[in-house]
Amino acid sequence: MKKSSRISSYLKSFSFRLYLIFSATIALLTAAFALVYVITESHGYRTTLEREGKLMATILAQNARLPLFAENRDALSLMAADTVRHSSVIEVSIKSAEGQLLTEARSRKEKVGETIDMEVPITSPGQMLSPEAALLGRPPSGENRVIGQVHLRLDTSGVRDQLNNLLIASLAIGTLFWIMVSLLCYQILKRATGSFKLLLAGIEEIGSGHLSTRVDLPGDDELARSANAINAMAASLELRELENLSLQEELLKAMKLEVQEEKKRVMARLIQTNKMTSLGLLLSSMAHEINNPNASIRFSGHMISKIWADVVPLLDRVREEEGDFYLGGVPFKTARTALSENAAKIVENSERIARVVQGLREYGVGDGSRLRPNLNVNDAVTAALSVLACQMKQNIQLKTSLGTDLPVIVGSQQQIEQVLINLIMNAMQALPNACGEVGVVTRFDQKSNEVVVEVQDSGIGIGAETMERLFEPFFSTKLDRGGSGLGLYISQFIVAEHGGRLLLVSEPGQGTLARVLLPAKAADASLGEVVAAKDHQHVADAIHEAR
Amino acid sequence: MPVLRAALIAVLLLLPLPALAYDILVLQSLHEKGYDEAVRGARRGSNATMRTLVLSDYVETDITRIIREEHPRVIIAVGERALAVAEKARNVPVLYMMALNPRIRQGVTGVAMLLDPSRYLSVFNSMGVQKVGVIYDPNRSGAYLRRAQFAARRAGIELITREVRVPKETPAVLESLRGKVEALWMIPDVTAVSPASTEAYFLFSQSQGVPVVTFAEVYLSMGGAVSLGIDRYDIGKQVGEMAESLLAGTPIDELPPQSPRKALTRTNDGVLRRLKISGTGG
Ligand SMILES: Nc1ncnc2c1ncn2[C@@H]1O[C@H](COP(=O)(O)OP(=O)(O)O)[C@@H](O)[C@H]1O
Ligand SMILES: [Mg+2]
Repeated sequence: MKKSSRISSYLKSFSFRLYLIFSATIALLTAAFALVYVITESHGYRTTLEREGKLMATILAQNARLPLFAENRDALSLMAADTVRHSSVIEVSIKSAEGQLLTEARSRKEKVGETIDMEVPITSPGQMLSPEAALLGRPPSGENRVIGQVHLRLDTSGVRDQLNNLLIASLAIGTLFWIMVSLLCYQILKRATGSFKLLLAGIEEIGSGHLSTRVDLPGDDELARSANAINAMAASLELRELENLSLQEELLKAMKLEVQEEKKRVMARLIQTNKMTSLGLLLSSMAHEINNPNASIRFSGHMISKIWADVVPLLDRVREEEGDFYLGGVPFKTARTALSENAAKIVENSERIARVVQGLREYGVGDGSRLRPNLNVNDAVTAALSVLACQMKQNIQLKTSLGTDLPVIVGSQQQIEQVLINLIMNAMQALPNACGEVGVVTRFDQKSNEVVVEVQDSGIGIGAETMERLFEPFFSTKLDRGGSGLGLYISQFIVAEHGGRLLLVSEPGQGTLARVLLPAKAADASLGEVVAAKDHQHVADAIHEAR
Repeated sequence: MPVLRAALIAVLLLLPLPALAYDILVLQSLHEKGYDEAVRGARRGSNATMRTLVLSDYVETDITRIIREEHPRVIIAVGERALAVAEKARNVPVLYMMALNPRIRQGVTGVAMLLDPSRYLSVFNSMGVQKVGVIYDPNRSGAYLRRAQFAARRAGIELITREVRVPKETPAVLESLRGKVEALWMIPDVTAVSPASTEAYFLFSQSQGVPVVTFAEVYLSMGGAVSLGIDRYDIGKQVGEMAESLLAGTPIDELPPQSPRKALTRTNDGVLRRLKISGTGG
């Protein structure tokens, strides 16, 4: 198979075609030469024979002149017999001018081949004069008088034999010549196309992408020069490709960076949006609801302490005048300080409430991505729960079990809070008829050095189909109930940003366990930050690639 | 005036020329250089007035009429045909010339075309040959050969003669002379020397190594050794002189036919050298 394919590729090759053309041309030329040679030679043979015959006939005619005149048949037949002895002569006859056959001779050989007939007149020379004319001084007329005819029949079979020999010889020589020249041609072509093939192979190699290939052709001919040109081309191509490659890499890097940046920006916006949609409204309304009564509480407190401050001298005087008395079941002496303290507490606590509400407002509005070097996950859980406190329906039982001695993590409290809010919201929304249990657990996994937050619900669970698409953005089974499909997507992103993992374990009807694993902060804070920064980068890449 | 002259010339040209009186009518067989030469000689030899007619220009009856009407005193016939025509004018003396075999009759004389045999014999003598082969037709050259035999006997030369009746016999007859002669004498005999057989003489000469003595210079180029030719002008002069004496009153019977008095000897030195012959007498 391989051999035949090699042969067929050789048959298609340039050198073979050249060889074919060369040898065909040579064959044609040789044949033409041989043909011309044979034709000329055969013509030559024939004309030679004819000339020979003519000469013989002429000589015979010359010699026969006198015997013919004298009608000496014996002499004529002798001459004819003499002539017929020639190999090519078959028949000789001599006739008088009146057409009378005077003598005839035939050669004994009975060859039936091609013949040529030759007729030569016998003439009396014109320079011969009659005696009278000679006496009268008449000049010789030069006019020949025909007195008879010699007829020769020549055998041309000799010519044909000679022709055949010639044909065979020229055929043999021609073939030999052709073979020799073809072989020579083959050798020359092989040498000539050798470098050609080398060049071709080089070009193919370069063409197939091996730009470091170089065609090595010695000499200073066209091929060598084109090889050099190709080498130069390959070199420049290689250079260009290298440049391209580095450029591409740079571009890719830049694009990656840009994508990451862009993604971060988008995510931040998404996070914001999510926050606003899920909690923003709630928080602002809540803040409003709280702030108003809180303001009046504070105002009342102020008023009480103000009034109390005005009332105390009066009451002191009363006590001085009337002695100790009881206010609200306690002696005035005690009540006097207790009231002012309580009034101060009212103001203080209401201010604290105001601060909390302010904080909630900041959560809704502020930049939550600020990293805290030592974030306590339990704080985040508490904050999340306090945010969600008013969302808790009465039928929902919230069970929290916050691990003690949790190590701190590096991260943004708000973002972790957001994750937890999302998870707890999902858990609550999964409860059928808003009735069931939601458990929040924090603990430290020493083995993997991770802080674990688990949100457990006794809800409807997650089907396999949904499970596959949980983390897709905008995938939601609750679109009709205000779901956005962003909660888990963003949560996972945030967790990944913190170098952690978010897992959901669920069976339909069996409730769901959402587990957040966050790496604990390393012993060396400054080092940890570097690591975190690195991880950060790494995780982002991983996400990017996973997409 | 030129018109008148032209008309006169035209009239003169159209009118048949009036026969002028003359003494000699020259009848020439045909336009031929040799005849013209002889006629020129005749004019040189005679001072008589002459009119020349060329037979080929006229019908024969016209000639006879002209002879009858114009009464020439002498007719000079140039060539055999002219002689035959001239002989018909019975009462006019006829002188012939350039006729090879004239038939001699009463009232006809002239100069023959053949040199006297003795002239040839003297050539043979000078070459030192004794046996001379001659081929002839007795009907044509019988008389000449008799004279030759006679002269030969006197000159001590043996003539070995062969007779031929038809030209084609010549080559065979020549063959019969092989080894028997020392020279060949070619005489102007139309049977013995025909254009086709002339060659045979020279082939014989070549193969036998014997010289051919011939009668015209033209044969020298073909291989003849010596030629004794006639001088046609002189023959004409000879005839002119005869006419003169006729006009002077000499009766024609007293003027026998003559041989040419002048012979032109020519030799082919190459042939002579090859045949190792020297000293030809002239
Ligand atoms: N605790 C859970 N129990 C059952 N299904 C859940 C739970 N958490 C999430 N899901 C499913 O995952 C989907 C996506 O959740 P999420 O990303 O928070 O978007 P949304 O809550 O706005 O629908 C939800 O629509 C729900 O079908
Ligand atoms: Mg949700």
